[in-house]
Amino acid sequence: MRRLPTMLWCRVVNPQSFAQERGRAVGAPRAALVAFAIFALLGVVFSAVSTYDFVAHLDRQVHAITCSIVPGLGPRDASGTSGCHAVLMSPYSSVFRSLTWGGIPIALPALGVFAFLFFRGLDLSLRRCVGRNETGFLIVAALLPVATSAVYFWISKVELGTVCTVCAGIYGASLGVLGAAIWAHLGAPRADAGAGSNAGQWLLYFLEGCALVLIPVMLYMVQKPAYPDTLARKNELRHPEDRYGVMLKSKGAGSVPAIEVLDPLCPACKAFSQRLAASDLGRDLVLQTVLFPLDKECNWMVNESLHPGSCAVSEAVLCAGDKSGDILAWAFAHQPELLATGAHGQGEVFSRLKQEFPELATCLGQPLVRTRLNRSLRWVVSNSLPVLTPQLFVRNRKIPDEDTDLGLDFVLARTLENATGARGEVRP
Amino acid sequence: MRLDKLHFLLALGTLMAVALPATVWTRASATRLTESLGKVSDVATASAANEGYCSGNLKQILRRVLTSCGLIQGGGSRGCQPLQARQVAAMSGGDFNSLFTPLAERAAIIQFDLDRADLDPAAMELLEKTFADQRGASYFLVVSRASPEGSVEHNRELSRHRADAVLEHIKGKFNDPELEQEVGLLWLGEEFAQLDQEFCQWKHSRTAGACTTAELNRSAFIAWIDCRL
Repeated sequence: MRRLPTMLWCRVVNPQSFAQERGRAVGAPRAALVAFAIFALLGVVFSAVSTYDFVAHLDRQVHAITCSIVPGLGPRDASGTSGCHAVLMSPYSSVFRSLTWGGIPIALPALGVFAFLFFRGLDLSLRRCVGRNETGFLIVAALLPVATSAVYFWISKVELGTVCTVCAGIYGASLGVLGAAIWAHLGAPRADAGAGSNAGQWLLYFLEGCALVLIPVMLYMVQKPAYPDTLARKNELRHPEDRYGVMLKSKGAGSVPAIEVLDPLCPACKAFSQRLAASDLGRDLVLQTVLFPLDKECNWMVNESLHPGSCAVSEAVLCAGDKSGDILAWAFAHQPELLATGAHGQGEVFSRLKQEFPELATCLGQPLVRTRLNRSLRWVVSNSLPVLTPQLFVRNRKIPDEDTDLGLDFVLARTLENATGARGEVRP
Repeated sequence: MRLDKLHFLLALGTLMAVALPATVWTRASATRLTESLGKVSDVATASAANEGYCSGNLKQILRRVLTSCGLIQGGGSRGCQPLQARQVAAMSGGDFNSLFTPLAERAAIIQFDLDRADLDPAAMELLEKTFADQRGASYFLVVSRASPEGSVEHNRELSRHRADAVLEHIKGKFNDPELEQEVGLLWLGEEFAQLDQEFCQWKHSRTAGACTTAELNRSAFIAWIDCRL
């Protein structure tokens, strides 16, 4: 009688069934497990890149970020116009933002999960026999990144209207590990009824996975910079009153007065508005908007047009009256197109606007709206604001510019808390 | 047993491989933040325009003129009469006019009929267009004149009415709350700083027919001044 090979983790019911299954038990699962480890490693790389880009912003400065399917080879996005930047700065890139500055990047636990999957794949690849109880766990474990990827893909497409390249790498790696896990499972020999309980083994793996996720998160929380009070500068508006009648109508059902200063063609302003709209704290605000286009066609404070065409779009927003919010939303949605059009001259932007909104044709470019836009700029001058967008003032107190992206929720929570605590001392 | 040990080593190695970079990256950000706290922002602050032609001499004269014309806080009553303008400017009519030479692109001449102070449609259009092109300018000067026909006193009053007509139209059209601090009026009648033929090259509201100095001086010269005083 032929002797069966030594097996540590799987037992075969009888020699006949082993003979039927040995081809898959020894060959196919090994390739599948190696593929599983490779896809998991890809997931590690993409989530590590994403974590790195997020963590770099904890210094509250502006950084170029990776936006390439092959990290390190493609150009890094320094302009803030890519989908990668939009996703990174979106409220969905991290959790617990109100509790800690920037929150915990979702890519960090993802890194732990993929590292765990890589570890499992490598561990099993080194074994001589892997049973279905093992590959079954791989499938269950792989469902976590797949489900998370599905949710984030949906958020990217529906909420943000873009998909980041690095995230696409993570989505692909997630599908890859699931596919490889299923492949390994189908090729693995059926476990012996007496092979022992899966529960204990799975619990051990689950705890290992938790450790790989939680320990890096805890280290991150311990090491991340504290929010220095020196950043919470007490910059207040000198002349917050709307003497010129230039502020766009209030939006939001909150009770705390706030003013945002923005450029309709500024990508950072679009991302900022999305963050504010998605923030629970943003709902506490009653928000008014002052237009500050960084376009030399109307703004004498800039030598070059950072956002060409934004003067024309600002005029359209002001012309729209009660529907200014709709025009602003449209401009945000069509930013790349309008910026490209603006590069060919303001006249082409006016033509595009008249084509889209014929009811504004008699207002655009006319002295009255030009004067109103100029007064909007003069409101910025009267308050000696820095020449940048976006800016946010809550109860006339400025939210530091460094905190209008990742730190928005955290700083807003503190500001609202202070405003509530000292309600009698602050100007309405 | 050998594989159990390998399992443990792999787990530990993986944990180190994940935790170490996360720690290093986070600490690096904390260090950069600490280093950046003392740095001064290099972002410009929003301010009114102050163009290159705003020399010290020009600003000094403008300040004297604008203070006397009531534009700058602490100044006297609103508007300058010919005598005041001559005194505060302390210069000849030609030199006074040459003050405005750098403003050629920002100025316009609003023309009137003989012995009238009514704005015609072309005048209104040019006035509105010029006023709307404020950009970063702080002051809007209206310098009205009259051609030599008629008495000096009559022309003085006529030019005052022309300046008032311009101001009233701006008030009615633009409803600017800062108008009182922005718009300065000088009415010169026929007595001081008459426009010469060179100003035919400047933007004016009546472009049909020949441009004569008489027609040019039945006018209000308007210009935004891009100087911070």
